[in-house]
This record gives sequence, C-alpha cells and structure tokens, in this order.
Amino acid sequence: MSGETKIDPTVEAATEPPKGKERFDRTRITNFLLRNLMALVVIGVAIYFTIANPNFATLPNMRTILIASAPFALIALGQTLVILTGGIDLSVGSVVALSAMSGAAIVVGHPERMLLGAAVAILVGLLAGLVSGLVVAYVNVPPFVTTLGMLSIASGLAYAIGKGAPINGLPREWGEIANTRIFTLQAPVLVMLAGFLILGIIMARTSFGMRIYAVGGNRIAAEVAGVKVRRILTSVYAISGMLAGISGLILSSRVISAAPYLGRGYELGAIAAVVIGGASLKGGRGTVWGTLIGLFLIQTLNNGLDILVVPAYWQTVISGILIVSAVAVDMVASKRSTA
Amino acid sequence: MAGRKSWLVVLVLVLALTLGLVGCGGDDTSGDGDTGGEKIRVGVTVYNMSSFITQGQEGMQSFADANDIELLWNSANNDVATQASQMESLINQGVDAIIIVPVQADSLQPQLEAAQEAGIPVLAVNTTLSDEELITAAVLPDDVAAGAQEMQMMADELGGKGNIVILQGPLGSSPELDRSEGNEQILAEYPDMEVLAMDTANWAREEAVNKVKNWISSFGDDIDGIVAQNDDMGLGAVQALKEAGISVPVVGIDGIEDGLRAVESGDFIGSSLQHGRVELATGLAVALKVINGEPYEKNYVYVMPPITADNVDQFIKNVVTETDAFLETLPELIAQNLETGDIANEELQ
Repeated sequence: MSGETKIDPTVEAATEPPKGKERFDRTRITNFLLRNLMALVVIGVAIYFTIANPNFATLPNMRTILIASAPFALIALGQTLVILTGGIDLSVGSVVALSAMSGAAIVVGHPERMLLGAAVAILVGLLAGLVSGLVVAYVNVPPFVTTLGMLSIASGLAYAIGKGAPINGLPREWGEIANTRIFTLQAPVLVMLAGFLILGIIMARTSFGMRIYAVGGNRIAAEVAGVKVRRILTSVYAISGMLAGISGLILSSRVISAAPYLGRGYELGAIAAVVIGGASLKGGRGTVWGTLIGLFLIQTLNNGLDILVVPAYWQTVISGILIVSAVAVDMVASKRSTA
Repeated sequence: MAGRKSWLVVLVLVLALTLGLVGCGGDDTSGDGDTGGEKIRVGVTVYNMSSFITQGQEGMQSFADANDIELLWNSANNDVATQASQMESLINQGVDAIIIVPVQADSLQPQLEAAQEAGIPVLAVNTTLSDEELITAAVLPDDVAAGAQEMQMMADELGGKGNIVILQGPLGSSPELDRSEGNEQILAEYPDMEVLAMDTANWAREEAVNKVKNWISSFGDDIDGIVAQNDDMGLGAVQALKEAGISVPVVGIDGIEDGLRAVESGDFIGSSLQHGRVELATGLAVALKVINGEPYEKNYVYVMPPITADNVDQFIKNVVTETDAFLETLPELIAQNLETGDIANEELQ
C-alpha cells in the first residue's frame, strides 16, 4: 500500500520533461534514492531495531548476524552469478545437504580424515554444479529444469548416504573448521567476507565478469562478440555448486552433525537475497553488492524480529512482503531509467 | 528445435526413472522370497526412512527373525498417496497384518476400509490415524508425557524458579502440539517459571543455533534454562551457548546418539528416550498377538523413559555402542514388556 503512494509521483515526474537545472537534480536524486532504496531500507530497519531494543546494536549481536549470514551468503553469491546469466540454480539447498553428508560420512569415526572430509564436501558441491552447468550449456536443457532435477538427485543421494538418517557421533575435530576464531571472528564469517570481496572484484573488474554480464544481457550478441558462452554458463553453475559445498561444510561443522534435510529451502532464500539486491531474473543486470544488501536485509530482519520475539510465522510473512515490494520498486525504477 | 525437444523428453524420462528408483529404495522386501506358505507375512509401510525408523526396522527385523515372520517393508517418502498405494498393494498380496507408521494422521480411510473388508488387521505405530475404529490396535508414544517430563527436569534443576526459552517442533505438527501441551502442564504448576520466548526451530540443529543466538542477544544472562522439544534443537542450543560463552541447563527429547552423549558430558541435564527399535518391534509383537488370536489391548502407550546422568550409560549401550547385543535380547525383552505392560522398558529382568 505504502509502496503505491511512494511510487506514483515519481512515475509522473519521469513522464514530464525536466525543466531547468533544479528539476534535473531532483530527478537525479530520486533516481539515486530508488537505485539504493534497499541499502536505505537496511539502514532504516537497523535503526528501528536499535530504538526498539537496546540489545540489537551490540558488538556480540553484530557477530551473531554475521555468523548466521555466512552459509546463506555463499549460496547467494553463487546464485547471483547464475541469475546474471539469465539462469537459476534451484539445486543449491540439496547440494548443501549432499556436501555436508559426504564430508560427514568420511569423517565419522575417523577424526584424522578431517581435511579429506572438508575437501570432499567442497568437491562434491563443485561436481554437482559442474554437471548442472554442462547440461545447461551443452545440452540446452533450461536451467529451471536442470537444477530442479539436480535438486531431486542431490537430495536423494544425501538421504542415501545416511540411509535416510542424519549422521550423529561426528568427532569434535569436525567442529574446528567453523568454530575457529581469527581476529574474534569465526572462520565462516571471514570466508563470507572473502567471498564477497573476491567475487565483487571479479564481477566489476575482470573480463570474466564482463562476459557473465554479456551472456545474460544478450546471448547471441555475446556469441557474435566472441564470448565462449557455453564455458561461461558451465562455470557459473560450477561456482554456485562449489559455494554450496562450502556452505554445507560450514553448516555441518558448526553443529558437528549432518542431516539429509540440511539446507532445505535455502535456494529460495538465496534467490530472494539476489532479487532484493536488484538483480533481474532475466539476466544481465545485478551486482554482488546488491546481493550483499539483500542478504543483510533478510538476516537483519531474522535477527531483529527474534530479538523482539516476533513469532516465526510473522517473520515469513514479512519477508514475503519484502521480496515482492523489492521487485515492484525495481520494476518502476528500471522503467524510469529506460524512459 | 526437434533435437532440443527430444533431449528434454530423454531428460524427463531419466529423471522419472531416477525418482522411481529412489522411491523404490525403501521397498526391498526383507526375508527369503521362497516361503513355505506357513510363514506369517506382515506388511509394513512407514512415512520415511528417518533415523527413528531405521532403528525401528532393525528392531522389527530382530523380532521377525526370532518369530519366523516375513516382513514386507515399504517406505512412503513422506507422501500420503504413496502410502495409500503401498497399503493397497499389501492388501492385494493378502498379508496377515499391516503395520502403518503414518505420514499423516488424517489419511488412508478408503484403504483402512478395504483392509477391514479383506479381514486384514491394521496396526498404527508412532502416529495414530483419525479413523480409529478401523484400526485393530495402536502403539503410540506419549508425547504429552515427554513434554511434561522434560519441563519437570528443568523445573527441578532450576528449583522451580527462573526464566526459560522453549524451542518447539514444526508449529502445528502433532508431536509439537503434544509436547507443548506437556510443557504447559508443568509450567502451570510453577508460577515462578517464566517463558521469555518460545518459537519453532523445525527440529533442526542449525536453525536452533541461530534462534538461540538471537535470543541470547535479546535476553543475555536473563536466560536460566533452555527447553528443546527434541535433542537436535537442544544440541543447537548447546552450540549457541558455547559460542556466546555462557552456560545454562538444556534439556531435550528423543535420545538420539548425540543427545545421549550430551547427557553423558553434562551439556544436557537430561532427555527422554524414544527408542525406535523397541517401539516398532512392540508394534510387530502386538500384530503377532492379533494374528495368533491371543488377547491384546487396543492401545499401547510408549511412555518415554527419562535419560539422566545416572542411567545414560545403559542407554548409550542399547542405542549406540552395543546395539547388536541389544537386538539379540530384544524379542525376549518385548515379550516381557507386554507381560508387565511397561512397553518402553529397556531392561531384561
């Protein structure tokens, strides 16, 4: 409701030709605000929680938000690349489970195999992503179908590894991966920050990043321009799978167990973060920075609403409203910039 | 274009096959194929192969081997329709009895009627079915009692006074509703115990970590105890406490391996044992009574034994370290339990 009243006048302003410098500045400012609306919303939400409960804006709670964000951040990053090519990766949630179960199955009863278990967890994710990527790129099966299939396959395999049951009795050493602290931050937080930094630079500064945008913007034009579209497509799904593998490893290590239902529904959270971050599901438009904003909006809400003791079912209602309004605002904003 | 379409068709077929195979994964019929016609055949359909059911299958198999019963085992992958067709198939095979561990309480009415018409007794284990008059007998855990038991443990630990948070199962699911009811019953007796927050973490450890971390941010040192409606969420709470560097009593339910270890190490003040091997084997034992025309009761209630630091060693042996030895004595134990009426008992007299 409030979105409507906010948006209407700006649409009108866009149809009117700007008159004079002052008018021009005003449209530019509204454009800027709209483009960064989600960052402003995050700040607004944070301010609200700070006022509502003094326990929100504390250093330990910021660390709590960061550690909760880490596993979601990694799959949201992978999802960003996939969505930029105009695809979608629905399999990440169950790849998280498959990776965690694979690593745990290797390490259970064998504490000395910790590094092997970690490596296998990541490689299994990479492999699952690679398979999806190859099918999408070289067989031309739509990403939605391919990754829906992979969702089912990976989930089934995760259950098969545990014969339907979670893996209990993992050695304490398995917990060291996620519970090691460096500069007072838990390792997964640093992995998340490194992931954002590295992919942020890759997407903004390297030719690989530019090619991903090109493939998503206009595949045929990209092909004509000499971009090896199939390789790019394969690589984004492989990266997404690998990040899901790391995410599974982190989740499993943090609680020293692995469950075949781990990560169920995470793909939707990751897609939500990317979309709230302003990416277009049609591809070619979106940024790693935007995903970071989307992710922190979701995670800040989860944390703040828990602190205010809002029941989980209202939390899901609120995030649903958020996703739709984010995309609605985005539609209006992009209409303005093309007009 | 045609090439693309045919690829799609191939993919869909492959997928369907894979799914079909996965779906059949739990269908392996146990026991020898060639039976002498005399052997009793009991059909089983379970909601899914969870860790609880996996244990239960071991228990049932041990009882079946000891009593020369052939088990026809089916897993419904949490799908009501699959369970319905598995029941129909069992009825067509003319088994001597059917044991259902239902996907959903409110289901299977036509199949229950068909079984009645065919004269096949049907037993519900772990979860009942809404059409109770169509069920021959049931073996059900008392989740209300389990919820009360864990809250009593917490009340005793805190001296009947303090602030707690509660981690619930998936909201609206029947174990959550029952365990919450049990929690409330005891809380009503202790007006000085206050619930700071209660919310679901959907039985999941990693969800509980974040939930409890957030509550620690909100309430900090005000939290005196954490009551989790299953062990996995309790273990998530333990991890959250460790990360925050604080220590308060935590209690769970189920007695899974890691939960038993937590009681052993002192991370949990206690738990309640829901032992799949015993519970499901009891279901089979009751089915055998029905088939043999022996007297039986309509409802057997599995009251989960409390797990505390004092008795946890025995349970660790039964559930984790010496399961083979436990399974060997299980048929005898079940027979003894049905005599005494305490069907959750774990100790052979």
